[in-house]
Amino acid sequence: MIGFRMVLSLSLGASWLVSAAPVTFNRDIRPILAKNCFSCHGQDEKKRKAKLRLDLPEGALTPVKGAAAIVPGNLDQSEMWIRIITDDPDELMPPVDSRKSLSAEEKETLKLWIEQGAKYEKHWAFIKPKKHRVPKVAANPIDAFLQQRLTKEGLKPAPVANPETLVRRIHLDLTGLPPSLKEVDEFLRDKSSNAVEKLINQLMKRQTYGEHMARYWLDLARYADTHGLHLDNERSMWPYRDWVIRAFNQNLPFDEFTRWQLAGDLIPKPTMDQKIASGFNRCNVSTGEGGSITAEWIYRNAVDRTSTAVEVWMGLTAGCAVCHDHKFDPLSAREYYSMYSFFHSAADPALDGNKIDTPPVIKVPQPGDEERLAELTTKIKKVDQRLVQAVAKIEYTDPAELKNPPKPTTKEKVWIEDGFPAKATRQGNKEWKTVSKPEPVLSGSKAFVLEANGLEQLVIGGANPPLVVKKGMKLFAHVYLDTLNPPKQIMLQFYSGNWEQRAYWGENKITWGKEGTASRRRIGELPETGKWVRLEVDVAQVGLKPGANINGWAYTHFDGKAYWDKSGAEVTTDPAKDPALSWKSWKAQKETDRNKDLTDALRKRFKSKDPVKWSETEEEELRQHWLSNTYAGAKEALGPIKAEKTKLIAEQETIRKNTAVTFIMADLPKPRQSHVMIRGQYNLPGEKVNRNVPAFLPPLPTKPKNRDYNRLDFANWLVDGQHPLTARVAVNRIWQQFFGVGLVKTSADFGTQGELPSHPELLDWLALQFAEDGWDIQQLISRIMTSHAYQQSSTVNRSLLEIDPENRLLARGPRHRLDAEILRDQALYLSGLMVNKVGGRGVMPYQPPNIWEPVGFASSNTRNYKQGKGEDLYRRSIYTFLKRTAPAPFMASFDAPNREQSCSVRGRTNTPMQALQLMNDIQHVEAARNLAQRIIEESGKKENERIKWAWRVVTSRWPTKEEAQILQTTLNKYYARFKQDQESAKKLIDFGESKPDPNLRTEELAAWTLIANLLLNLDEVVNKN
Amino acid sequence: MDFNSQPAPEPRRSGKQELTNMNPALEYHQLQNRRQFFRGAGLKVGGIALAQLLSQRALAAEPAVTGNIHPALPDLPHFAPKAKNLIYLHMNGAPAQLDLFDYKPGLTKYFDQELPDSIRNGQRITTMTSGQKRFPVAPSKFAFERCGKSGIEMSELVPHMKGIADNITMIRSVFTEAINHDPACTFAMTGSEVPGKPSLGSWLSYGLGSESQNLPAFVVFTPTVKNPSQALFTRMWTSGFLPSKYDGVKLRSAGDPVLYVKNPPGVKPTDRRNMLDALGKLNQKTFERFGDPETQTRIAQYEMAFRMQTSVPELTDLGKETKTTLEMYGPNAQKPGTYANSALLARRLVERGVRTVQILHRGWDQHGSLPKQIKEQCTDVDQPTAALIKDLKQRGMLDDTLVVFGGEFGRTVYCQGKLTRENYGRDHHPRNFCMWLAGGGIKTGMTYGETDDFSYNITRDPVHLNELNATILRCMGIDNHRFTFPFQGLDQRLTGVEEVNPIEAILA
Repeated sequence: MIGFRMVLSLSLGASWLVSAAPVTFNRDIRPILAKNCFSCHGQDEKKRKAKLRLDLPEGALTPVKGAAAIVPGNLDQSEMWIRIITDDPDELMPPVDSRKSLSAEEKETLKLWIEQGAKYEKHWAFIKPKKHRVPKVAANPIDAFLQQRLTKEGLKPAPVANPETLVRRIHLDLTGLPPSLKEVDEFLRDKSSNAVEKLINQLMKRQTYGEHMARYWLDLARYADTHGLHLDNERSMWPYRDWVIRAFNQNLPFDEFTRWQLAGDLIPKPTMDQKIASGFNRCNVSTGEGGSITAEWIYRNAVDRTSTAVEVWMGLTAGCAVCHDHKFDPLSAREYYSMYSFFHSAADPALDGNKIDTPPVIKVPQPGDEERLAELTTKIKKVDQRLVQAVAKIEYTDPAELKNPPKPTTKEKVWIEDGFPAKATRQGNKEWKTVSKPEPVLSGSKAFVLEANGLEQLVIGGANPPLVVKKGMKLFAHVYLDTLNPPKQIMLQFYSGNWEQRAYWGENKITWGKEGTASRRRIGELPETGKWVRLEVDVAQVGLKPGANINGWAYTHFDGKAYWDKSGAEVTTDPAKDPALSWKSWKAQKETDRNKDLTDALRKRFKSKDPVKWSETEEEELRQHWLSNTYAGAKEALGPIKAEKTKLIAEQETIRKNTAVTFIMADLPKPRQSHVMIRGQYNLPGEKVNRNVPAFLPPLPTKPKNRDYNRLDFANWLVDGQHPLTARVAVNRIWQQFFGVGLVKTSADFGTQGELPSHPELLDWLALQFAEDGWDIQQLISRIMTSHAYQQSSTVNRSLLEIDPENRLLARGPRHRLDAEILRDQALYLSGLMVNKVGGRGVMPYQPPNIWEPVGFASSNTRNYKQGKGEDLYRRSIYTFLKRTAPAPFMASFDAPNREQSCSVRGRTNTPMQALQLMNDIQHVEAARNLAQRIIEESGKKENERIKWAWRVVTSRWPTKEEAQILQTTLNKYYARFKQDQESAKKLIDFGESKPDPNLRTEELAAWTLIANLLLNLDEVVNKN
Repeated sequence: MDFNSQPAPEPRRSGKQELTNMNPALEYHQLQNRRQFFRGAGLKVGGIALAQLLSQRALAAEPAVTGNIHPALPDLPHFAPKAKNLIYLHMNGAPAQLDLFDYKPGLTKYFDQELPDSIRNGQRITTMTSGQKRFPVAPSKFAFERCGKSGIEMSELVPHMKGIADNITMIRSVFTEAINHDPACTFAMTGSEVPGKPSLGSWLSYGLGSESQNLPAFVVFTPTVKNPSQALFTRMWTSGFLPSKYDGVKLRSAGDPVLYVKNPPGVKPTDRRNMLDALGKLNQKTFERFGDPETQTRIAQYEMAFRMQTSVPELTDLGKETKTTLEMYGPNAQKPGTYANSALLARRLVERGVRTVQILHRGWDQHGSLPKQIKEQCTDVDQPTAALIKDLKQRGMLDDTLVVFGGEFGRTVYCQGKLTRENYGRDHHPRNFCMWLAGGGIKTGMTYGETDDFSYNITRDPVHLNELNATILRCMGIDNHRFTFPFQGLDQRLTGVEEVNPIEAILA
């Protein structure tokens, strides 16, 4: 290879034609051939015409039927040349109907190349980077490469940016947030030569650094919080997002970062983080649409994963080879599907099931969770021990075994007496009237009275604790029927989930429920009038089972007048026959009844085993279990210990329930056989393929004897230091992050269709250094940011703009509009609203109505946007819930991708929609008002002081006199206006959930709110300068 | 609605001033021209490397000038356009062609009989009916009629459309590959089943630029429907790999009609004007400080934003529409968020120079209870759609406005679920369906394409959705072959990598 000598003759007079600089294949020829010839004479065998390929010297230089397309040094013998310049339309190349044609310059270049010997080169990016000698023109190697080039173009680097601009630039680039005034002052005070370096090191230690860096990676990973297709339901993937943040904060080396994400699941004994990281492969969009065809989606998911990995790590657009051999890059469809085979055996289902946790997933405890769970387990163990000890202390004698068994006892639980049970409230529309003596009262001081006309009732509900039904329990009530006007029918109703428990006396007038069943059970005739009578209902008569809760009660009449008093439940216990008191009678129960008190394990062991068959040990084991769990006599001794245990278990369950899941990668136990899919059709499998990498790249190491290659081998291959692309692609993207454009502008395409690097030697130097530094991302960033190129002023004049509009030569510093997230975060940060909480499920900040709803499927669980409250409104934008089919407007209108596919570089547009948003969005107006509050409260009383302070907060520099004057004039207008219109002022400052400071004057705060709104819209503020 | 009281703002700069070099935006524009010239010259004088450095392709592909200086690409249109504007009426969910436009009188005798194998031919079907034991034929229960002089066949479901039969070309042989909604809609709107490609409207904005100084070039409606049984996706109107300024802008029925177009509470247009005056001056200082042309574009965009604050309310205010017009669009014409209202606004938008309007009407996915549901759907769209055509025509606008009506695929002749004469359902059927076109560049009163007796296979003149899109482009003056954008190593086209051509037969 000849090397990357870019003869960049920017001065219009000089020309390589004149200087006869040799034409090089990669720089000059391949682009022409690729654009005009390769689609028929390239690497795609199926589309190749006349069996001629021009992408390789073997094809172009070998004579066919006596003629070669190219004869080096000999134009007249070169068939290609003859066909290019012919007048015969049938002979002409490129053919007329191809709609392609060569310009005069292109022809001239081809001519020169043939004359100079038609030397071919391998595509630059497919050759390992070479360490080039660092030019000795500057101390910093980056500057040395850049300045050598600038000198050639007759240009000079710009001076260093002023420190105010620089400190803001560095803060924004490392944390995504502007500096505070204190930080600006500190930087200005630091006159040491390594002030920038110190600042960089300090900022890289911040949590906000990881949050900022992660954002770029999440674009590549196509991370989102929904599945992306059809229903677009929620998916739980955020632990992966949080891991990416963590990885940057821990400065995980890029080779590890690569391995974990592509194959964390295959690393021996993977850690939790490695498994979470493998979720990179699961971030693709997926569908659960009814009617979808399984084979199609297994195929599509694997294609997405393959193409994404190839684009992210190798900077190649492999997508073309899905359908056919790549037309321009030496990637055949067969090779594509060999890589696809690494991803084709993923264990996740073809369809996501519209579930939040499409398997495989893992549970991801939050910090502290695991420790607490372990602590709880220990505590529970200790409580269990105390329980055993307490049980051992119980001196138990079975009442059934006594010579004189104790007599049965009856216990009454009074529920209604002079008032209602705890928490119960009156229901229905009838008031509960009470009477006192001398009217009929049975006990206490009052009785209730109901005089009905037709069907009427007294109802209560919501009692807590409820009345718990026990076996053999009787429900009772006392009633006194008026002698002159007795009811025709009286009824008791009990609420237990519903009111279908009714018992009545007298006629059958009330038609609720079904006669003769628990929902309308006749107990007997009306009782005698003129006296208190006790009514009793066996719980079984009204279908109430032991354990059921009664929390409502009604006295019902048909006509007539009656008094009601003391009501509740009565339980009779015979200790010798009660399974909760007598071991013998527990044993004597039916197996199904015994089973209720046993654990699953015990139930299993004693299944269909009659008590007589129990061994002594078995009986003793069960007896111990009964004593500690069922025996009612132990309540006092064991109750408090058990309550303690219940509490601990509840906490354990809460932690487990709240533990997030995240999608991870895993392979099927038995791999799928992969095929070349003809024309990229999921149902047209062609030739079988095995896992492998393309031939134009270094080979994989020898295949292990006992297994096939897997994703981990693939990941290792990418970062083993031999791969020509990985490091170049990675450093180029980081470069792009800081300078706006990569050294290779097409950061997702390093193939032959991509652009050549502007500074190939520098790119190689950075790539090799990166690997040598142990793939240390922070060190790479440090190298970039400590360069003069990064720190220079971004001011541009017209002639430089004309020469280098995109700032590829870096004769000035970078200046561009801030990304969507930074714009919102900056407003939140400057206003003091920002909440610095890290991680967790995506939150839902302010969003206008009708963003999700009009697109959402009726049954989607992300159809309705549920705006959060409080701190959810003010978290950093990286934590905003990302719904793929309807992304948040603050993201979408500022070029954030919707994460449907991997994105290597965002656009940077400049639209009226953006202006409307920054001026009127509630988030920005609320931020402006809070900033206004800060201005008034933090900067002093004098207006000109306030103006200067405000300007400096948002730009990091002092305003000029003129700038301050413009603000002052505008402020005066707003003051005057809001003084006269307090109502408008009030409306403005009340916009947003946060409350305005009531101590501030309304018109003052309103006027400053609009000034703050103006400041946050300044071009200087929405840009990194 | 503070901005309603705001009089239309004075133009900030007179046309005369724009011709002087005092206008920074214009200056920048000229700079762009110089750059373009330079690019051409550079090739002659030794700039191959330069051309690469400056990215010849990228420069050609991304006009750096944005905002109200929003011109067409230098080589566009490729030929004289027949249509300046496009109104695309997308019936989302797949309307049943058998019940609307593809008349098959012979089917009655096949009621409840098995669809012959010779017709079905073992084609793939969705997993929603692939488990069915039978595939009984469900003839349409609706009466058909030959309409107008042209005799285009339509069913009783669309009585108003019958009245515009002589203005349209009905294509009965459109087909696509996708068998499910998400990929099919994505294909219909972007020419690709896989998300990430620009929508048709975005392509047009990118290629042809904007004619309106006060409104976006591409506007989208998603009217409310009774039964939103299918999802829409923003990718159906966003710009994919093109810069996001080519995104469709949604005109909304709830909240702000255009996102953030309303000033915050308590802020009047005069307050905003005061702010913009100060902002413009301060940004001008910034431009002097850094010399970044984007700053100038930003100044222009804030002015455009301010104009939109007036032009959008003016647009949605139907006060000046006549009673006759309003009645023509039906009872919902004045009800925001309805299809009728959207159709009327579509006309108003086109009148104001908006390039592309897209109405996405949901609820056409009748797997069961088809007769009842499709009737409701048609009640919603039939009258306003016909009104739109008549309205455009009476104003002389139909000549240069192209209107497209149709869904993402068709529905099966065999019944899904229980079949009776009165009730049936139909599954997805990508093999053929109907769409109609009207207006600029399209023949009138024509029926194109034919299907077999079962509306199951195309028997004459198949039209792939890519060909339909090529036809739309042609009407707009664009050669689909040459209309490309480089992305992922490929010169991407709306109409895909395969060679497709417009349907010459239906072009006027």
